[in-house]
Amino acid sequence: MPLTLNLLHEEVAERRKRKRDPLKLSMYVGVGIGALLALNYLWTGYRVLEIKSHLSQVQHDWEKVEPKVTAAQKRGEELNAIIDSTKTLDSLIDARYYWAPLLEKIARCVTPNVQLTNFDGSSAEDSSITFTLDGMAAGSEPRAVAEDFRQMLLEQVGKEQQGAKVEFKALEDLDTVMPVGGSNVGVAHFVVAVEFNPHPAPTATPPPRRSRAKKEE
Amino acid sequence: MNKEQTKKLVLGGFGIIGLLYVYFAFFIGPLHRSEQAMTDRIADLQGKIASSKSEMAKAARLEENARAATSHYDALRALSPEGAPIAWFPPRMKAFFAEQHIDKASARLESTTASKEKELANWSRYTWAIDLPQADFVTLGHAITLLENSEPLLAIKKLTIRAATESPELQQASLTVATIIDRK
Repeated sequence: MPLTLNLLHEEVAERRKRKRDPLKLSMYVGVGIGALLALNYLWTGYRVLEIKSHLSQVQHDWEKVEPKVTAAQKRGEELNAIIDSTKTLDSLIDARYYWAPLLEKIARCVTPNVQLTNFDGSSAEDSSITFTLDGMAAGSEPRAVAEDFRQMLLEQVGKEQQGAKVEFKALEDLDTVMPVGGSNVGVAHFVVAVEFNPHPAPTATPPPRRSRAKKEE
Repeated sequence: MNKEQTKKLVLGGFGIIGLLYVYFAFFIGPLHRSEQAMTDRIADLQGKIASSKSEMAKAARLEENARAATSHYDALRALSPEGAPIAWFPPRMKAFFAEQHIDKASARLESTTASKEKELANWSRYTWAIDLPQADFVTLGHAITLLENSEPLLAIKKLTIRAATESPELQQASLTVATIIDRK
């Protein structure tokens, strides 16, 4: 094998050393990474710009819709308030007590030997109705005439008002006599108090009990 | 690899790490944050636009359904004319009872309170005392019937009828009535 002499050995070794310089290599790597990062930055920037234009478009759409929505919401609130007010007014109207039919019923109970002198009625906050009737009953048995009047009143009022109470507050014979049907008869003064609730509060119904038979099953 | 090369390698590594830190902290980080904020805003607005459509449809349906309630409410409001109730209610009652052949009727205001119901914030309760010094019982009953039917916002709270001392065929009546009147 022939012996060859490389006279440029040192120069070549120096060149190789320069080529493999880690600083230089890391700079190359750094430049490469930097280029990749720059590309990534540009791509991300492009995406952000795209999103920005989409956002401005959505914002524009919302600006068009927003006044309509606000107006619709306001109108909805107004309508709900009207509906609620109407319901409340209707409930107040329905809860009223009509006095005229009651007066008609009382008039039906007054026989020729009974005279009413005073009617005093009121409706309370809990919608209960109370009234008192002052009057005179004339007859051979004036107290019986007054009792007949009370019974008739109870029957008339109780037809529509379940649980109506019709009671005497006073019943006394008077010393005077009164001509009824051609003959003088005795007179009694009476005060009848009536109480009822046309809109009673609903009572809670107890839960149904389980039958024993079912339990056994 | 000699010591000098290792030193350079470490220095280069530090350089690359510094480069990455600067890139993520000062370049790509803010960009990502702004992207995220914009995406969130878009989602929020798109949600609002979607819900606004249903909101408008709901309002349209409500408008349709509330037509009867609105006209009923307007009719109830129309029962009370413009102006202070003290100015128009007593003459109205006087005219009403005069039409029913009950003369000398007079009405006076007893009290005014704001409505207790929160739905009727624009309405006030007025309590009036109506005196009818001369009224035949049947005529009075007929008048009360008409009053109760023609004035739905009026409720009789007290009613007193007593025999008039001068003429036995006539009665003296007094009514305490409560009205709900819109504050126009």
